[in-house]
Amino acid sequence: MTALAPAMAAARPGLLSRPSTVPALLLLPCMIWIVFFFLLPLALMCWRSLASEGFSLAAYAVLFSSPLYGKVMGTTLKMASIATVCALVLAYPIAYVLTVAGGKLRGLILLFVLIPYWVDIIVRSFSWLIMLGDNGLINKTLIELGLLREPLPLLYNMFSVLIAMVQIVLPITIVTLFGAMLRIDRTLIAAAKIHGASEWQAFRTVFFPLSLPGVYGAGLLVFILAFGFYVTPALLGSPKETMIAQTIMIEASQLLDWAQASAAGAVLLAITTSIAAIYNRYFSLDRLWGGSEP
Amino acid sequence: MPLEIEGTLSRTGQSTDTAKASGARLELRNLSKAFGGVRAVDDISLDVPAGAFVSLLGPSGSGKTTTLNLIAGFLTADAGDILLDGRSVADVPSHKRNIGMVFQSYSLFPHMTVAENVAFPLRMRTKLSREEARRRVADMLALVQLSHLAARYPRQLSGGQQQRVAMARALVSHPRLLLMDEPLGALDKKLREQMQFEIKRIHRTVGTTVVYVTHDQSEALTMSDIVVVMHQSRIAQVGAPRALYDAPANLFVADFLGDSNLLPGTIVEAGSAGVLVEVAQGQRVKVTRAEKAPSVGSRAVVLIRPEDMSVHAGPTQSDGMDSLAGTVRDISYHGDSYKLDVAVGEHALKVRLARVSGNGVELGQRVVVAWRPDAARLLPAEDSGLGADGAQP
Repeated sequence: MTALAPAMAAARPGLLSRPSTVPALLLLPCMIWIVFFFLLPLALMCWRSLASEGFSLAAYAVLFSSPLYGKVMGTTLKMASIATVCALVLAYPIAYVLTVAGGKLRGLILLFVLIPYWVDIIVRSFSWLIMLGDNGLINKTLIELGLLREPLPLLYNMFSVLIAMVQIVLPITIVTLFGAMLRIDRTLIAAAKIHGASEWQAFRTVFFPLSLPGVYGAGLLVFILAFGFYVTPALLGSPKETMIAQTIMIEASQLLDWAQASAAGAVLLAITTSIAAIYNRYFSLDRLWGGSEP
Repeated sequence: MPLEIEGTLSRTGQSTDTAKASGARLELRNLSKAFGGVRAVDDISLDVPAGAFVSLLGPSGSGKTTTLNLIAGFLTADAGDILLDGRSVADVPSHKRNIGMVFQSYSLFPHMTVAENVAFPLRMRTKLSREEARRRVADMLALVQLSHLAARYPRQLSGGQQQRVAMARALVSHPRLLLMDEPLGALDKKLREQMQFEIKRIHRTVGTTVVYVTHDQSEALTMSDIVVVMHQSRIAQVGAPRALYDAPANLFVADFLGDSNLLPGTIVEAGSAGVLVEVAQGQRVKVTRAEKAPSVGSRAVVLIRPEDMSVHAGPTQSDGMDSLAGTVRDISYHGDSYKLDVAVGEHALKVRLARVSGNGVELGQRVVVAWRPDAARLLPAEDSGLGADGAQP
């Protein structure tokens, strides 16, 4: 043993030639970036939420006791849930067609799905103003056709906020679902058919159940996205549709109550993180980015 | 066809499940299928008698899987027809063809238990009561000896067990035709041999017609009643395993099935007693069995199987043995046998010797390779897509 030890030490490769060194070096720039521009501000935010006048949980107490925050949180949950469900329902058929379509058709549909995705959120939200306003495209057309006397109240309500939210999250819903569906083994559908299942039965008994983890995954992603919406409810909603991100913005920039804003931000972060954690516990997050089945 | 399926099902539903379901007669008529201009199946015709075990054997890309997918209805033929019991199924979709299928990757439904997987065809095809369906599933699982794993999910099973579940699922609704696409490809050698035996046993029990796709010749030879050798999208030869091995119709089949010595030569004498072929300068080989009498001067190839040859230290020309003299170039030991490479002129003869008779042979030794003249076969020289031996002009 003692004779072997020096030999082993000599045989040990230098720092640079060790197999773990290269990946670590490659990760380094990204890690530095994340630490300075994400983790550090996050830590500051949490610290500020606790230490406005000495150490206290006052900001959190306000958060959980004030009726305003309860109401905003309720609205946010409701809006995000409805938007998520609508997006899933609309995205599923499109993702399915993408999965079964051949090369050219698939490319074309993907293009139409992604073009709006590349347009900025603010621009997309504004475009709904043009569509839904009292003098907007829809009301004007209906009035000119003589179908309406008074314009429909399409703007500055829950409807307008939701329709824009769904439109904004739809591309990412479709792409996420499509990715999940592509991983379903198509020979399983063939196996169902040869053993007596019609096209519809094969879909209902095999494809749909196997696509559900993808649906949950996409739902999670979309829900977290929708939870933090700021621009869309601000532009298209009334005060009744105020969501949590807007409230944080008002606290921070108008009321200058940074402790309160930080506390609300920390709670928002905790909620989204725990949703992701619950999902990971049951479905494994790996699947969202193409990992293998558990 | 669907009417008859219903009839079959209700009949077997009432009777005991050990009763033999009759297999369907399968006919392929001038079947063709191309993918983007490339012929994958080229004018294939085949008759499979009811209840037979037929293998489609060929190298990858020979069209066997495409043929299977055409029979299953996953692909539509460009030309030709498929008949089950004399009736065309060209317009019958997959799910109404009453076919069972075992896929290469098993393709068990991952979200269903073993019992649910096996019950699937019953759920889709029959209106059996829950009690009755459960009994059929239990019988089927007993047949493949997996009753104890009924509540497991496929991912909890070994490859061999998944294979058995796939068999049970394919057979539970008493299909009259069972398609198997390289079902043992993913298993190791020992398990593969065990499963070959198992599949044959199940085939004897259920009596359904089986079309079995494989690229493994020993698998095809041991399991099948009829072997269809496919080559370049066409059928190279159809026959019983022994007939194919003993009397291959062309160079491809001779080369593809087993080891072979293919000696190209010129026919120098053709008579009632046999044919003499000159395979090298002054070296003549006698062939006593030749279906068609070839004309003198034409080219031909002599086939002699390595295991039909013996090796002798000196010239021992007894009881009409034919022989060639040569030098031992290579010896490899295979446990039960030796494989020898004997250089005879520009030819290299492959010789396979049983363990006992190969023990004394040494590298570089001058030997005489001998065989009975009726072990040699005459094959037509012209053939497409052949190994080096036969391609020599």
